[in-house]
Formats: sequence, structure tokens, C-alpha cells
Amino acid sequence: MASETSQSLLRFTGHRHLRTRLVLATLTGRPIRISQIRASSSSTTPGLTPPEVSFLRLLDSITNGSAIEFSMTGTTLVYRPGLITGSAEGLGAQGGVIRHEIGRECRDRGASWWIVPLCILAGFAKAGVNVVFHGEGCITAATPGGDVSVDTVRTAILPLYKNFGMERNIEIRVLKRSCSPPRGGFAGGEVQLVFNHQVRLPKTLHLLNPGRVKRIRGVAYAVGVSGSNNARAIEAARGVLNKFVPDTYIFSDVAKAPLLENKDGTKKKGAVGFGLSLVGESSTNCLYSADVASPPEGGVPAEDIGKRAAYQLLESIERGGCVEKTAVESVMVLMSMGSEDVGRVALGREVLGSEEVVQLGRDLSVVGHSGWGLRDAGEAKEDGDVVVSVVGRGVGNVGRKIA
Amino acid sequence: SNLRENAKRMHGRNRPYRTTDLAKMMYNLTLSPAEVVKKWRGELEDDEEDVEIEDEVDDDFFKKRKSDNPEDAEDRYIPIFDYAALEEKWEDEENIEAFKSRFAIGHLNGKSGDGD
Repeated sequence: MASETSQSLLRFTGHRHLRTRLVLATLTGRPIRISQIRASSSSTTPGLTPPEVSFLRLLDSITNGSAIEFSMTGTTLVYRPGLITGSAEGLGAQGGVIRHEIGRECRDRGASWWIVPLCILAGFAKAGVNVVFHGEGCITAATPGGDVSVDTVRTAILPLYKNFGMERNIEIRVLKRSCSPPRGGFAGGEVQLVFNHQVRLPKTLHLLNPGRVKRIRGVAYAVGVSGSNNARAIEAARGVLNKFVPDTYIFSDVAKAPLLENKDGTKKKGAVGFGLSLVGESSTNCLYSADVASPPEGGVPAEDIGKRAAYQLLESIERGGCVEKTAVESVMVLMSMGSEDVGRVALGREVLGSEEVVQLGRDLSVVGHSGWGLRDAGEAKEDGDVVVSVVGRGVGNVGRKIA
Repeated sequence: SNLRENAKRMHGRNRPYRTTDLAKMMYNLTLSPAEVVKKWRGELEDDEEDVEIEDEVDDDFFKKRKSDNPEDAEDRYIPIFDYAALEEKWEDEENIEAFKSRFAIGHLNGKSGDGD
């Protein structure tokens, strides 16, 4: 840790990509300072939002020795990462499980918003990671804010960790389903992430052939509403997708509305709704996903939800490449943390040429990674995928090395 | 439809989506990521847009400014789609046929897909 004090703060600005930057800081052990968080005059609520503060709390509980400071207004944040300890006993965990409460004020975000970056860190932890997310703001479904459902994380993001040599004892359990609550309501879901396959360095990835989509799987969920919504959404989605893939199987999960206990012991009911998560799998195990949930205010028939999910899936497949946009951040970060070798991945032009990915490439270079190499895949120019070459920096598990 | 976009893409003045262009702009910090993406796609800032901005200035005094400024947006995983347009696109036989090459059943009919 002595070296850390001599390290200068890496500087970032703005509220975008906040979690990615915190994750990169934690993985590389570099302290960072993020300023001007929603400081522009046009934002009505300056500073960190409740979900962001909650994410910092989560980082604090799975690391040891992290220091987090924010300014009075919350527009400036200094984060000095500690070791990634995971759910080790005695450090915020009880019985090897961290219970992370997502309060009612965080209900703009789905549980996946916390889980996706946590998974990136989890592979590098000292002990296993076992976190239960619960509380009035814990939403397992897709949200209007654009977060995917935990089903999509489970079926379209977690399987990708296999490519990096992390495949055993990794699981997401949906303990209580919940949907996005309307104004004034609450969610009350519960979901557990178990990530017990830690590696010293992720394997070098070579993923160049997107293959052809051969099967589609999915989960339709109905929370506190009739299960016929699932059947109708599935029927509509199949109607669109059967032209392309006959092998389509969508599970139907009908759950009760989550119940939470009031302080006086009475029970109250959480948000209800339904939705559909779809995953297309290619012959080379590349995954494309789609996620649509009924809006909190209702008013969209199940057929439309099903169709929208199907169209969204087709769009994701059309964008091409071996990794879709939802998962690209996880994949690129893990590639960068790999051993000192060149990994390659083919990405669709719309995936690579998106603000998020360009910014990710820049943020990686700020924390000391070399730039990405880009070249056309095959002879198909301006139309085919782009092969991105990433030199791993072998920094995986910095925490353990310093310790 | 997609075909028209492709044609436009191929014959446009400044050929967009060139990998070398993106490689040059990627780490050029004088351009914001939004500008990089725009330039790469070849979406030029033409006069159309200028007009729009001027309009905005006029009634800016009374209306709260639309926050389409990317700086104010929040991160999201699922993009916002115009589902009506998507429905039209994916109910179009031509599009469906052209797209079948991306699926395992599609390899017998029509053009050969990428990869194999």
C-alpha cells in the first residue's frame, strides 16, 4: 500500500461511465478523482445519485481498505481502492454472505446495474463473492432506465466468463421477482449472486467468428399478474422469431408479488408487472440478448412486449460481432486484465462505434492500458465486423499481489 | 430499409465506417466520444441541424432546455428503439430473407453469410 500514496490521482469528469471507472480503479489499484458529477447548470439534481452512492457502498463491502470521499455537494468523488476481498467473513459479510440493501430511493435502476460491474470484480476477489441484493429498490426485471433483467445477466453475460476461464460455481438466483414500481411504489425483489471461481489472470480471448444463430432461449416472467401474460408474450415473440429459428424455447415463470414487512408488522405488496428476456445463441457460442418489461404505469399488452423483445433481439443480432453491446464492457475489461498477450475479439461496427465503447477504450488508456488495435475482419470492408486487438496488462488481482 | 442505407453508405461522399478512421479518432481527445461516433458514421453536421439549434434558441427563454445533451444523459444498457419502425423493418419479406444468412437454417438459401 505504500506505493499508493505516491501514485497520483487519475482524473475523470462527469457522471457517465461512473461504475466502469470505479471498477477499473479497483482492478488496477489506482486511486481516482471524478469531478463535475452532474455539475452542469442544466442538471436539476447535482452530484451523485442514490444508486451511485449505493454502488460505492457495495464496493466498500467487497473490498478492504477502500477510502471513499465526496465533496459537500457530491459533485466530486475521490476513490482509493483497497483489496478485493469478496464475501470473506468478518468484513461486512455474515456467514459468507453480504446482504446489500437497495433502498427505495434507488428504484430507478435495476439490480443488474449493480450486478454486472460486480461480476467483473468478482473474478479477481481473494475469497468467493456471495451477495444478496434486496430491499425496496431491488428490481429484478428490466427497467425503463434501460437496465436489463437479472435473467439476461444470467443467460447472456455470465456464460461469457467461461471464455476467460471462469466457469465453476457462478450463479444468479432470483429469490423474489419484482418489477419496476410506479411513482411512489416500491419493488422489493431479492436476487443472489454467487461467484466462486476466482482466477489469477483471465485467459486470453480469441473470439473472431460470430457463427450463425442456432437457438433462442428466454424467460418470460409475470410478477403478481396472471401467467397468461407470459403465454401471450411468448406466443407473439415466437411469431416473429420462428421465421428465423425454429429452435425457440421460452420458459415461463409466474411469481407472486413480493411482500415486504412494514415497521408495524403488516405486509405491503411490491410492484407488479411482466416482461420477457430473450437470448440468441450462435453456433460458436456467441450470445445476443433482448429485454422488454411492461412499463410501471402499465398499458402495454403482453403481445406488444413479446414482439418488441423479438425485434430487439433481431436488432442485436443484426449489429453483428461476437459480443453484443450489453456485454461488451465486461468482455473488454476482462480482456484488458488478461495475461500479457494479445487477445482478439470481433465486434459489430455499431457496437464498437458507440459512445460507451469509445469512452471505455479511452478510460482503459487512462488507467495505463495500451490502445486497441483495429482492423477489418476478413475482406468485407465497411460492412463486416472489426477485429479489436487488446494487449492484456497482466494486472489481474493486483490486490492479492500487493497484499 | 437496410439496402438503401447500405447503398448510401457505399456511395456516400466521405466513406463512413472506415476502420482506419475510427482507429485515428479513438484516442484523439479533442473529439468527444459522441463526435467520434458521429464522424465515423458519416453523419455530417449539415445545415438541417443548424436550423434546429436556432429554433431552440428562440424559445429557450420560456422552455426548459431539452436535455438531449449527451452529457446529461444517464448510462443505459438497452437502447431506446422506435418499435413501430422496427416492426415495419422486420415484417418486410426482403429484409427477412436477407437476414436469414445469420441463422443456422439460412445457409441453404441465398447468399453465403459471414464466417462459417
